[in-house]
Amino acid sequence: MTDRRMLLDDHGLEAALRALSSEIDWPTSAPAAADGTPIGPDIATRVRARVASRERRPRRWWTYGGRPLRRGLVLALLALLGLAIVAGAVGLGLPGLRITLGEPPASVLPSPTVTSSPTGSRPPSPSPTLPPIAGMRLLLGRQVALEDVERETGVPVRLPKDERLGPPDSVWIDPAKGDQVAYVWKSSGDLPETLEAGVGLVLMRFDGRNEDAFYDKAIHSGTTLERVKVAGHDGYWISGDPHFFFYTDANGQFVEDSRRWVGDALIWNDGTATYRIESSLGRDATITIAESIE
Amino acid sequence: MRRYQDVAVRTAHLICPETDADDAVQEAFIKAFDALPRFREGSPIRPWLLRIVANEARNRRRSAGRRQGLALRAADAAPQRTAPGPEQIVMAAEERSELLAALGTLRDDDREVLGARFLLDLSEIETADTLGIPRGTVKSRTSRALGRLREALTAERRGADR
Repeated sequence: MTDRRMLLDDHGLEAALRALSSEIDWPTSAPAAADGTPIGPDIATRVRARVASRERRPRRWWTYGGRPLRRGLVLALLALLGLAIVAGAVGLGLPGLRITLGEPPASVLPSPTVTSSPTGSRPPSPSPTLPPIAGMRLLLGRQVALEDVERETGVPVRLPKDERLGPPDSVWIDPAKGDQVAYVWKSSGDLPETLEAGVGLVLMRFDGRNEDAFYDKAIHSGTTLERVKVAGHDGYWISGDPHFFFYTDANGQFVEDSRRWVGDALIWNDGTATYRIESSLGRDATITIAESIE
Repeated sequence: MRRYQDVAVRTAHLICPETDADDAVQEAFIKAFDALPRFREGSPIRPWLLRIVANEARNRRRSAGRRQGLALRAADAAPQRTAPGPEQIVMAAEERSELLAALGTLRDDDREVLGARFLLDLSEIETADTLGIPRGTVKSRTSRALGRLREALTAERRGADR
């Protein structure tokens, strides 16, 4: 225990500050649940994906301000970022958005990993420490009441009418992401658990209007992209390894969709907004739910 | 960058606790990537990276306006990661609160230099590089900041004893 008198000299103060360091509530470099379990990729992984997603340079050694970089410097740069020669990021295009999916390193994949199947599903696994509010660990922003969504965002509520879903168990908006709205349903017998314990389905809606098609796919990605149609609109079914999202919006602004790993997901744009559903129901059932939105 | 991301997040948080340290570090790392051609080969990379992080955090602090409330918070259940050695001390909750409150009253430059030296455990040279000040200034500012911290701590205790 410190002697209060020792804080009156410089050495005592220095020692007290050093001791204080281990007791400060420092932020961490990777999102974690309350029990410390990582639930998303660390900063280096996300930065790596962002860098890899930027427009490809000409197929020669990178240049900077028109000057070619030395080979050694480029290699040092790649090593510094931990970039593999084939970057672990995938970009895909929907109107108004350039979306990049970055996959986590194998060493940090959540266990169990999501299995990829167009029609298969994963049974719910009971967890003894379910959060009291569905989706509260998903970093979706601020929780609001369903009836307040339109007033707060100016966007009418549109929900799936599929019989597997009742009203959402929680609703979240994130003003920092263009009033992104997220609806969360708990897992149930009809709704197998996603990567997040206790969560059966997440529906997200965010803005995106301009035409700006972009499609790119990195080799060796463990995430599978499949072009699909959702009520006649272009979309993608994303399955395989857990991944994380970020996107550049219609104004060219970088938006970090979430800092967590996401399992199978359907993403599509209906001409006015982009929607994403995270679900373990498989491709076909998820598309059915998406097409029931009204 | 993975090797330095933890100290980078703490650096950003130390300089601008009111904003998202994660976001600041991401932007700083991307700027560092773009600035690599200007990096002097053979120089230590950690202080170079931390300086970019510190600049990014300062920009955000300027945008955020005035500081509000306590700058740094103690963890709810502060873990004692290792058994204290003979040079180490264990702080009582009350002392921890007083010290944090006193730190929160310091000017930004005083808090930064004390934070870099003793909370982040950077050397004088690393502190100078990270904060963009001469090494001699680190010494003088540290001494001055310790004096001000002592005064603030005394004031905190007087307030608590009343």
